[in-house]
Amino acid sequence: MIDLLDIHVSHDGVPALCGLSLHVGKGALLGIIGPGGSGKSTLCRVVAGLVHADSGVAIVNGVDYSTASRRELQAAQRQIGVQFQNDALFEHMTVLDNVCYPLTRLTTLDRPAIEGRAREHIAMVGLAGFEDRLPNRLSGGQRRRVALARACVTDPPILLCDDPTAGLDPVTSRQILDMIAGIRYQSGSTVLVVSSDVVGLFSVSTRIALVWGGKVLEEETTAGFKQSRREEVVRFLDDARLPFAGWSWD
Amino acid sequence: MGLGASIAQMGAATLAVARETGGTGVLLGRVLRRLFPPRFDGRELRRCLLRMGYQSLSIMVATAFVVGVILVIQAFVFVDRYGMRSQLGYGAGFVTIRELGPVLLALMFSGRVGAYTAAELGTMTVTDQVDGLRCLAIDPISYLVVPRFIAMVVSLMALTVIGNAVALVSASIMGDIIMEVDQHTFWTSLFVMIGPSDVFLSVIKSALFGAIIAVNSCYFGLSTTGGAPGVGVSVNRTVVSSAVAVFVVDFFSTFVLG
Repeated sequence: MIDLLDIHVSHDGVPALCGLSLHVGKGALLGIIGPGGSGKSTLCRVVAGLVHADSGVAIVNGVDYSTASRRELQAAQRQIGVQFQNDALFEHMTVLDNVCYPLTRLTTLDRPAIEGRAREHIAMVGLAGFEDRLPNRLSGGQRRRVALARACVTDPPILLCDDPTAGLDPVTSRQILDMIAGIRYQSGSTVLVVSSDVVGLFSVSTRIALVWGGKVLEEETTAGFKQSRREEVVRFLDDARLPFAGWSWD
Repeated sequence: MGLGASIAQMGAATLAVARETGGTGVLLGRVLRRLFPPRFDGRELRRCLLRMGYQSLSIMVATAFVVGVILVIQAFVFVDRYGMRSQLGYGAGFVTIRELGPVLLALMFSGRVGAYTAAELGTMTVTDQVDGLRCLAIDPISYLVVPRFIAMVVSLMALTVIGNAVALVSASIMGDIIMEVDQHTFWTSLFVMIGPSDVFLSVIKSALFGAIIAVNSCYFGLSTTGGAPGVGVSVNRTVVSSAVAVFVVDFFSTFVLG
């Protein structure tokens, strides 16, 4: 479903991805962890077709981004739902209009059908009754839910969630991750989730990848990842382990 | 500061200006490509016309009114000294229509609409809304830039025509009050000496000013980086570069068009 091979990306001469390779199979929920500035968000942007790799091959849903025409790239992007770190909600639109927007642009459904589907997804993320609110009247967690509903309202085969739990309290963070897992379970989408909530991510992901210094250092099943003896993995998990006594993976 | 550092600083500044000029040029080219044939969002255009044109009307009219009044007050000494009261309408009309009206209203427009546009697009950029559009396979140039470009050009042209008229009315009233130049004398000297070509020049200038303010504000807005502080920087750059560009374009358009 997603194949990245030896991807190099730099921003203004500063390397962000340095030979990153990754394979994500259909229907997987891959949790991406790593220290800040390691290239997690850039990885998401490469998969979304928003950042073009300086070199390397990115094949997403059968489309090779390095050789695709603009039209082919746009067609590929329509198959990907993205939840951005900053929510990226359109501030002048209500919650309902925000969630309707992808359907308006990407489908030929009529308005009642679009609204019906949008309302279903708004209810699915627990925001029924908030349809007429503007985003600036919502809390951080509610905004994330709207962004999630908008990202998955078209039932995209690939869903990218770039740090959907950033800045949220642990309870809301876990709720958001559970919702993402639920969406994957219902729709069978392939899901990539970047999150700093490492424990939450381990509980919902089928596989985990550690991005470090612009590369994927380790990519394993959650069980396999916990057993890894690789120095960076151990160090990262030690740093990420939670600050209460007696905590264990189980 | 040593000579080497000064030269390096000048070089960096030159490169920055070249980069920004090139960037706005490329953006202008992309906008023009989407205008023929037209590829833009009509609903967004209506929203922009309302916000940039209609909602700017009151402040532009107020500015124009004051410009007309100040013009007559400043001219009073010279008109009185040389006994040129019968030519007050011509003088006020010439200066207002050909120069002061388009330039001052463009600067005002840049401060109000250009700054707002840079802030709006800058915020959309740093909060990933522009990338959100790309993910929906929506071209941000067609959806965001082209409607703003058309709205700014059309709005500034219309506002300049209205502003010129308001400035001349206020100048005629002020001339009547402080110089005792009656309305008939004022308007007769204006209509005899000022022709359609002067009005045409004014409208062309305002269209050019609208275009450069639009391209500048959209370019700086869309190239915003660095979160909220970056938005402030973009707004600042938009206002400064638009003001400079207005004067440069004014010079060349006056030189070429007369």
